[in-house]
Amino acid sequence: MSTDGETDHKTGKLEFSLDVPFPSSSEASIALRSLSPDREPRRGGISKRLTVTGNTLRWSADEARILRVSVNSFLDHLSLVLETMETFGPPVDSGI
Amino acid sequence: MSSAAMTVVIGFEGSANKIGIGIIRDGEVLSNPRRTYITPPGQGFMPSDTARHHRAVILTVLKEALEQAGLKPADIDCVAYTKGPGMGAPLVTVALVARTVAQLWGKPLLGVNHCIGHIEMGRLITKANNPTVLYVSGGNTQVIAYSERRYRIFGETIDIAVGNCLDRFARVIKISNDPSPGYNIEQMAKKGSQYVELPYTVKGMDVSFSGILSYIEEAANKMLSSGQCTAEDLCFSLQETVFSMLVEITERAMAHCGSQEVLIVGGVGCNLRLQEMMGVMCQERGAKLFATDERFCIDNGAMIAQAGWEMFRSGQVTELEDSWITQRYRTDEVEVTWRD
Repeated sequence: MSTDGETDHKTGKLEFSLDVPFPSSSEASIALRSLSPDREPRRGGISKRLTVTGNTLRWSADEARILRVSVNSFLDHLSLVLETMETFGPPVDSGI
Repeated sequence: MSSAAMTVVIGFEGSANKIGIGIIRDGEVLSNPRRTYITPPGQGFMPSDTARHHRAVILTVLKEALEQAGLKPADIDCVAYTKGPGMGAPLVTVALVARTVAQLWGKPLLGVNHCIGHIEMGRLITKANNPTVLYVSGGNTQVIAYSERRYRIFGETIDIAVGNCLDRFARVIKISNDPSPGYNIEQMAKKGSQYVELPYTVKGMDVSFSGILSYIEEAANKMLSSGQCTAEDLCFSLQETVFSMLVEITERAMAHCGSQEVLIVGGVGCNLRLQEMMGVMCQERGAKLFATDERFCIDNGAMIAQAGWEMFRSGQVTELEDSWITQRYRTDEVEVTWRD
């Protein structure tokens, strides 16, 4: 897992990105689809983007003030999804 | 799907302080394990602590549900979970696991309305035909009747749920929350001997409990320290008052619908005094009363599985992108495609 934090000097917003490697692209995709449906509790100020590139799940957000809470929640949720996948995985082959 | 094939649904519930996972196969409850997050006397349960509790036990409870049913994931046909209403953080925790196993096992997902879970479980267990439903819990108080593909809300609380009123009163007099504050109020009420007059607030088809709560919160300390009455007397008086209000609005709905059946669901429905009072009203009207025991009154996973079973069999499915949870979810928002 690698992380990156920096300030966009034009907008003054803080960006945080988190790359999470997965053993396979299907598992990265499962995690993405489990983690993306729920909306952020606070409507303004935080935006979250979850994408999958190959086996890597990328999460980036801007807005400094409540970033820590959002990141914390996300990491808790991610760890639950990972533990669920470890306990009940691997995914069944959905190919016909 | 052939008509001989059985449908097995697993249901995940965790919208308040109970986390339960249950498996139903064509109306048979195969397993229904549950854990309750209990706070010390005087304290209610907060969303993030509740979510943490559910997070710690959910995978264990899921394993139990499968083991007790004697099933493997391949035997499941559908994964149902509570979409709402309820507390945000606990709802998310449970939805995350449901979404993940649905994908791991390659099974369709179904987001269920918690209130409808209670109703469908009540219908399954009691075999009530078409009852007026009183749904009473810590989070909800509604009088519901089915009409033309919707569970219509005939009456409800305009502020807090009756269970919330009872739970918060329990905190004032520092009653234990184990197994639940409502249960302990019920036991204490049996020992009450003096009726203390409390505000009675029915507004047409609706009820209000925040007034009676603030009254009794303020009066309790004064009356108890002056020895005017005991805590048991207050428990007794509070029950008599709020339950009478519920019986009144239920009867009003029955009169409107010409209904001869009452079904009580939700955690407060476990209360035997409430059942007794409702029973008296039903007898006077020549109606039948239906209720379930604490396995199914109190939030549980099987009720979500049962509602999911009905929805799945009538062709409903929730896409992952639409599987977000919601703290507010009205009972009448759902199209009841499984009934005529």
